[in-house]
Amino acid sequence: MNIIVFIKQVADTEARIFIKNDQKSLEIENKFNMNFFDEFAMEAAIKTKEKFKDSQVTVCTYGPKRAIEALRTAIAMGADRAFLIDNTGFETEDSLIVAKILSAFAKKEGFGLILCGRQAIDDENANVGAMVAEMLGIPHASAVINFEVVNEKTVKIDNEIEGGKESAEVQLPALFTTQKGLNTPRVPLITGVMKAMKAVIPTVDPTTLGLAKEDIDLNASGIETVSLESPKQRPPVKIIDGESPEEKVRNLIRVLKEEAKAL
Amino acid sequence: MTKDIFVFVEYKDGSARKVSLELLTKGKEIVEKNGATLYAGVIGFQAKDIAEVVKGFADKVIVVDNENLKDYRYDTYVSVIEQLVKKYQPSMVFGGSTVTGKDLFPRLAARLNVPIVSDAVGIGFDGGRLKIKKPLYGGKVISWISFKDGISPMVTFRPNSFTVEKFSTNGEVIEEAIDAAKDQKYAVLSMDKGGTKKVDLQEADFIICGGRGMKGPEHFQVLEDIATTMGGRVGASRAVVDSKWREYDDQVGKSGKTVSPKLYIGCGVSGALHHTMGMDTSKVIVAVNKDPNAPIFGYADYGIVDDLFNILPVLKEELAKTKQEI
Repeated sequence: MNIIVFIKQVADTEARIFIKNDQKSLEIENKFNMNFFDEFAMEAAIKTKEKFKDSQVTVCTYGPKRAIEALRTAIAMGADRAFLIDNTGFETEDSLIVAKILSAFAKKEGFGLILCGRQAIDDENANVGAMVAEMLGIPHASAVINFEVVNEKTVKIDNEIEGGKESAEVQLPALFTTQKGLNTPRVPLITGVMKAMKAVIPTVDPTTLGLAKEDIDLNASGIETVSLESPKQRPPVKIIDGESPEEKVRNLIRVLKEEAKAL
Repeated sequence: MTKDIFVFVEYKDGSARKVSLELLTKGKEIVEKNGATLYAGVIGFQAKDIAEVVKGFADKVIVVDNENLKDYRYDTYVSVIEQLVKKYQPSMVFGGSTVTGKDLFPRLAARLNVPIVSDAVGIGFDGGRLKIKKPLYGGKVISWISFKDGISPMVTFRPNSFTVEKFSTNGEVIEEAIDAAKDQKYAVLSMDKGGTKKVDLQEADFIICGGRGMKGPEHFQVLEDIATTMGGRVGASRAVVDSKWREYDDQVGKSGKTVSPKLYIGCGVSGALHHTMGMDTSKVIVAVNKDPNAPIFGYADYGIVDDLFNILPVLKEELAKTKQEI
């Protein structure tokens, strides 16, 4: 089975982020990782390969050149192959375009199963997975918390639905987005890390995937960023004093009522 | 092109979800500026009662009612909304950035080949041009996004982004008969809708969140009592969920849920970045922690430095009194 895992390299949650003077672009401290939710997708892919030995795990990202490091992490975890679709000159925030590129890649490579994280932690969009599934005309399930490939044709899953969970049987090929709790992503072994360091990761030019250039270039998107700004800073905390816990709580309730109008 | 707006209405236990009413309220405010129409889409089985409620919030309520639509499935719902959008040609479709919304709207946008802006928190105007407010990087950056002419995007908003106001007149209810076949490749085996939890964490106006300082799962009962009194929900930090004191469904933060209640109270929550990223859009933040240097005080509006086990019983009592006064 051909398993494709789509990942994204994202800024570490601790990375410092500055808005540039143009108010439209960012400068991000050089701390990047594989997206948190994609690690569960990687783990599910490798577990599936362990069960169906003739499977191949292909990991792919659409991103800048630095994203190759996230692909190396995926190889260290156990991916067989990795591809960087280089977005230099095609940078976009538009999920529709990203999904078009990734689905074109999947079509070209062939696939039996596609996995990706339920959302990226930088833009928190949660769009690309379901969009790729739609473009490929295959079923999808979001936020999968249990995942078992039963045979070459069938996957059994549990996933989150509004207020609860659902169990389903899905015919392959299909796409699944992975949620925290699905598994415990493995920490790469030193042999994996060595392999990843040596791995040759091909770069794919997005214009070679059979898409019209005007569908993916810098003018392709129907959305545009007007401006970026820093969030409003909260005023410094007001520590509520009192002689006793009772007094503190009463003073708190009073300010919540009178000043904050929150009660 | 029209300036009409279409809102996909979610509902639960016989009433429309608050997030949907928020979007209808905001949608009405926008269409009124240019004499356009606000559509509410109510899709399901025996959903006519919902339509009766929703008509107080929309110009036209489009109801699609058939047995295949009893439970949400992306396949049936995408194809129904696709047909409604093609027929009514709204300039924008709004929905909630909910579990359902996150599953439905990307697939719908791909079907219609239109862009989507997800997890937005506000709407503004630049001259006459509408722009969408969306936090990035866990709220470290706020972006404003607009659309090129002739684009009819999907936009999903976080619950608690807008207020709810009913307007004076009732809209027209229009029934559309649209058949939606289920994808045979996707067989639902069982469904557990939870049911016991009263309020959706993301929609709650009041959240009292327990951190590692709660010391154990047995101490969360007082938080539950307070949440019940306030009609809100108990939340939990990642450490608490990882220790299995609370379910993942309760987790607030980067790897859990992003919440913006009117009042958030953190108890024994240190305020690690991955937590504050999930709650710093709350309107008012209160922190209770015995460590005056806990990072949470850098995000809070009000703080109490004390042992939370001294504070919580009193807080429970005082909040109960407050509720009785109202």
